[in-house]
Amino acid sequence: MTAKTLVPTAREDPWEMALRQFDIAADYLPLKRGIREFLAYPKRELTVNFPVKMDDGSVRIFTGHRVHHSTVLGPTKGGIRYHPDVTLNEVRALAMWMTWKCSVAGLPYGGAKGGVVVNPKELSSDELEHLTRRYATEISIMMSPEGDIPAPDVGTNPQTMAWIMDTYSMHRGYSIPAVVTGKPIPIGGSQGRFEATGRGVMIAAREAAKHLGTSLKGSKVVVTGYGNVSSVAAYLLHDLGCIITGASDSRGGVYNPKGFDPRALLKWKAETGSVVGFPGTERLPIEEVVTLPCDILSPGALEGEITGRNAADVKAKIIAEGANGPTTPDADEILDKKGIMVIPDILANAGGVIVSYFEWVQGLQQFFWTEEEVNQNLERIMVRSFGQVLQTGQEKKTNMRTGALIRAIERVAEALMVRGIYP
Amino acid sequence: MSAQALVIAPREDPWEMALRQFNEAADYLPLKRGIHDYLALPKRELTVNFPVKMDDGSVSLFTGHRVHHNTVLGPTKGGIRYHPDVTLNEVRALAMWMTWKCAVVGLPYGGAKGGVAVDPKSLSRDELEHLTRRYATEISIMMSPEGDIPAPDVGTTPQVMAWIMDTYSMHRGYSTPSVVTGKPVEIGGSFGRVEATGRGVMLSVREAAKLISLPLSDATVVVQGYGNVGTVAAELLHELGCRIIAVSDSRGGIHNPKGLHPGEVLKHKQATGSVVGFPGSGRVTNAALLELPCDVLLPSAFEGQITGENAPRLKTKLIVEGANGPITPDADAVLAERRTPVIPDILANAGGVIVSYFEWVQGLQQFFWTEEEVNQNLERILVRAFHKVWQTAEEYKVRLRVGALIRAITRVADALYIRGIYP
Repeated sequence: MTAKTLVPTAREDPWEMALRQFDIAADYLPLKRGIREFLAYPKRELTVNFPVKMDDGSVRIFTGHRVHHSTVLGPTKGGIRYHPDVTLNEVRALAMWMTWKCSVAGLPYGGAKGGVVVNPKELSSDELEHLTRRYATEISIMMSPEGDIPAPDVGTNPQTMAWIMDTYSMHRGYSIPAVVTGKPIPIGGSQGRFEATGRGVMIAAREAAKHLGTSLKGSKVVVTGYGNVSSVAAYLLHDLGCIITGASDSRGGVYNPKGFDPRALLKWKAETGSVVGFPGTERLPIEEVVTLPCDILSPGALEGEITGRNAADVKAKIIAEGANGPTTPDADEILDKKGIMVIPDILANAGGVIVSYFEWVQGLQQFFWTEEEVNQNLERIMVRSFGQVLQTGQEKKTNMRTGALIRAIERVAEALMVRGIYP
Repeated sequence: MSAQALVIAPREDPWEMALRQFNEAADYLPLKRGIHDYLALPKRELTVNFPVKMDDGSVSLFTGHRVHHNTVLGPTKGGIRYHPDVTLNEVRALAMWMTWKCAVVGLPYGGAKGGVAVDPKSLSRDELEHLTRRYATEISIMMSPEGDIPAPDVGTTPQVMAWIMDTYSMHRGYSTPSVVTGKPVEIGGSFGRVEATGRGVMLSVREAAKLISLPLSDATVVVQGYGNVGTVAAELLHELGCRIIAVSDSRGGIHNPKGLHPGEVLKHKQATGSVVGFPGSGRVTNAALLELPCDVLLPSAFEGQITGENAPRLKTKLIVEGANGPITPDADAVLAERRTPVIPDILANAGGVIVSYFEWVQGLQQFFWTEEEVNQNLERILVRAFHKVWQTAEEYKVRLRVGALIRAITRVADALYIRGIYP
């Protein structure tokens, strides 16, 4: 749901990878073959080929997808991605990951994902609007406030969501804010959604410290990717007494072992375009930031930041994954052996989808919450989910990543057993 | 739509083949690239993975598809196939062929096709019913009397259509007969549907004979494939005074230069399981049968029967394709050179989909026609389409097969231009 959502690398097919991760966790559970396959495979996959009239009067055909992975727990939820490398297998995998993410957080949602094969930067604003309105029309047989609620992802933004909401509402004849989340606030976006993912990372790190008996006062924190996730996590942890000692963005890293003010850094980045050069910090190559001495590390930049090559040098006690997939499977093994507590992405960065869920609830009831109410509810859900994942990991004698998946699959399987097989 | 619907041989990818055929005809038309692509690619493709509870209590997961190729002319129409070799590319190709078939005869329909990868013979009747009801439920987001109307195809029957109609009706809360065609007459099936394809073949023969000045009285006819299509065509041509000199089924053929009585041959087949051994006839192989001297040849069995190899030896004045795809592209070229007119499948065997259309109309209006009304309307539509195709082929100086496609594509393109590109 965040702008930094996993962009799978060319190395492995994303759907194969998603199935492999599922299998590792599913092996811990007593699932019969048919049930196991039902949990793994997408319920429905739609591919649409649709025309868009371009500014020069020509017509271009675009291909889009929308996949609903599971509808056992409720309507489906998941972002829409505009990217030239979108494939059905990628959308499938991301939809499956959304099922587990929503399930871990205990939301009444299944996973979905959508995408259009397009480079949005090559289109004019009018073309992008027309593409969005037509794509929204094409997938509207599978989209509704009761059935499937999209959200922004790579290449889409609140404006895109506003066009989708407007198109769907025009077809119905009245405004339907709850059909998408991640909308601008004037048309039903939620307070606190911008901060939600970073706030969730902070809560996850805080709960982990509590569990390990580490005091947050004076704990050293390093974050990577100083965008909306990591910067928020950094200043909220700073508010709890942590010392922020390192940060990075695409241009480089900054470090001060005595700490710096994360809000001032955010302002500096807004003014100069980068964290680099922030007064009172030393400049570092990006790749050295994750191995800085610290207590809490939150990788929030790209996938695959912590690999088999650098994992042995990681000095943090707690890793809270702000980005999706920052730790490779090789690295996971090494971190496990070193006894580092890794709070996996589907738990640590679930704050975004949780507040998306609140936005949907507010749209359904047409009654809007204060930022305080949003944050209180986010806190409650994150803390509960953290506890459940920790417990599952301990019971099954595995790490939190596998524990989270086991918990997620178990929840969907339990609901499936109660509902039964139609007809 | 007939039981003899095309079973694709593994030699060429069916979707590639469909695109190649489209391109051959589209090259005659002044279509801009975007419009060309829009006409070629399927509007929407749905893949569903769904569980079925089997008789032994286990759960099996099945994969099904439903493709809407084009919705410019109206709702989509096309069969549902149950076959272990069903693939998305096959369903795509068949959906596209349905678009052209409906367009060439002037129905207010676009093409669709569906399929489930299953061997229906491996399921019990209960399992088949559960599979059908669940598949119908899964595709119901794309199926409705207003939007998409399935029909039987390979591996499905009027009983399967009845289950689909019942499932859809139960969800809606009232009977909705027009959601499928090919239903049993008891629940809204049309009179004349069983005979429809064979009657259409007869009409094609009759109209072509007029144009090539071939007197039908005592014209000699050879029928390959004595199933529903071949039988009806033979009987109706016999009534017009033709002499049926040879017919065949999967076990072989029979030959009598003085003429066979088609009704008696059918009785013999019903009693013994084959036409072979019909009193007073000589035996002939399926291959030799095609090369018998005759005025009219009706290949009504399988695809790929007339090839580049045997086409030069054919001794007929007219070929009417009762089956789908009985003539390979190589053979087509040979026959064009020899100036043997070939009435192509999408026109010659369109009687089935035309009466399917009547069944839908009758369901919509809840007012049912006599067999005479059905046959009169079928005659009017098929004769009109036949002459339009003939004219188009003469105008563009192409084979009737290409003429039919040009006519079909033109009709969809004209409608598309008038409707414009949304939004």
